[in-house]
Amino acid sequence: MTIVIGFEGSANKIGVGIVRDGAVLSNPRRTYITPPGQGFLPSETAKHHCACVLSILKEALLQAGIQPADIDCVAFTKGPGMGAPLVAVAIVARTVAQLWKKPLLGVNHCIGHIEMGRLITGAANPTVLYVSGGNTQVISYSERRYRIFGEAIDIAIGNCLDRFARVIKISNDPSPGYNIEQMAKKGSQFVELPYTVKGMDVSFSGILSYTEEMAHKMLGAGECTPEDLCFSLQETLFSMLVEVTERAMAHCGSREVLIVGGVGCKYLC
Amino acid sequence: MAVTSGEVKLSETLHFELSVPFPSNRLAQIAHGSLAPDAEPRKGGISKELRVTDNSLNVFWCAEEARILRVSVGSFLDHLALVLETMQAFGPSETQQN
Repeated sequence: MTIVIGFEGSANKIGVGIVRDGAVLSNPRRTYITPPGQGFLPSETAKHHCACVLSILKEALLQAGIQPADIDCVAFTKGPGMGAPLVAVAIVARTVAQLWKKPLLGVNHCIGHIEMGRLITGAANPTVLYVSGGNTQVISYSERRYRIFGEAIDIAIGNCLDRFARVIKISNDPSPGYNIEQMAKKGSQFVELPYTVKGMDVSFSGILSYTEEMAHKMLGAGECTPEDLCFSLQETLFSMLVEVTERAMAHCGSREVLIVGGVGCKYLC
Repeated sequence: MAVTSGEVKLSETLHFELSVPFPSNRLAQIAHGSLAPDAEPRKGGISKELRVTDNSLNVFWCAEEARILRVSVGSFLDHLALVLETMQAFGPSETQQN
């Protein structure tokens, strides 16, 4: 029986998880939420994580019902992500690993997402669509490595959604993406937006600028509602992802898709 | 500053020294292990060195500009505070607060 404790704080969410042989014993977490219209900056995010990481760690041990001595290994997100919050969490992981005399394991954030997805779903060898605030990639496994078949060439899809949310001052609580999704359900008009798929890759920054401009123009003139824009943006972005994912599946002869990353929790019908 | 042939002298280099006492050598080593791995985010203009001597963690900074030095020292102290808090919460009994 192997018990691993993991620390993740590469963006605005900080979490500590305890896993025993693939079963999650506890996973308390907190999100650094900024006021509507504002994104999260590295130094403030790091401050947020520093302030709550130790109490989250205590919660994790309590909820799992284990003592530090029971732990076999301490894992933490080494990268990629935002520098300041990554360092803050790494420092805590290094300290407890030394205090408890346990081996320390740095984890690649992207691979962490994929392996979590494979563990929870039991997928054998899927085409992976990894979509979050910081990453947008279509990934497949070949010859002992995960390989990127296609990706966003500028900003990640979550970043596009979050920044659009800021423009029309959507609340960041619990997350801007969630609130966009709720508003999109009430949209009734499809607004034509740029559709930028480039071969296996996708581009979002042009769509973002265009949508921001349209927001000011059309909302000002009453030509559409914020809900219509949320709906149209989601439809456009998600259709682009479906296209590149299907292309990768055809290339690899795959019949399974695994969607991982925060944006993946959206209900895509 | 005179420039001699064959070598270039830096303009006044700023130095800062910090000595942090710990209850034991082991804890000083742990602090060192937690704080030494991260390189300075800024590429140039600052360097720091961490050393453990007995129960003390000693840090030596060299910087070319005061503001760069201030940022680095400030950031280090924040990280050190985090290490100390972690030790108090999860370390051996000599670090526990009652």
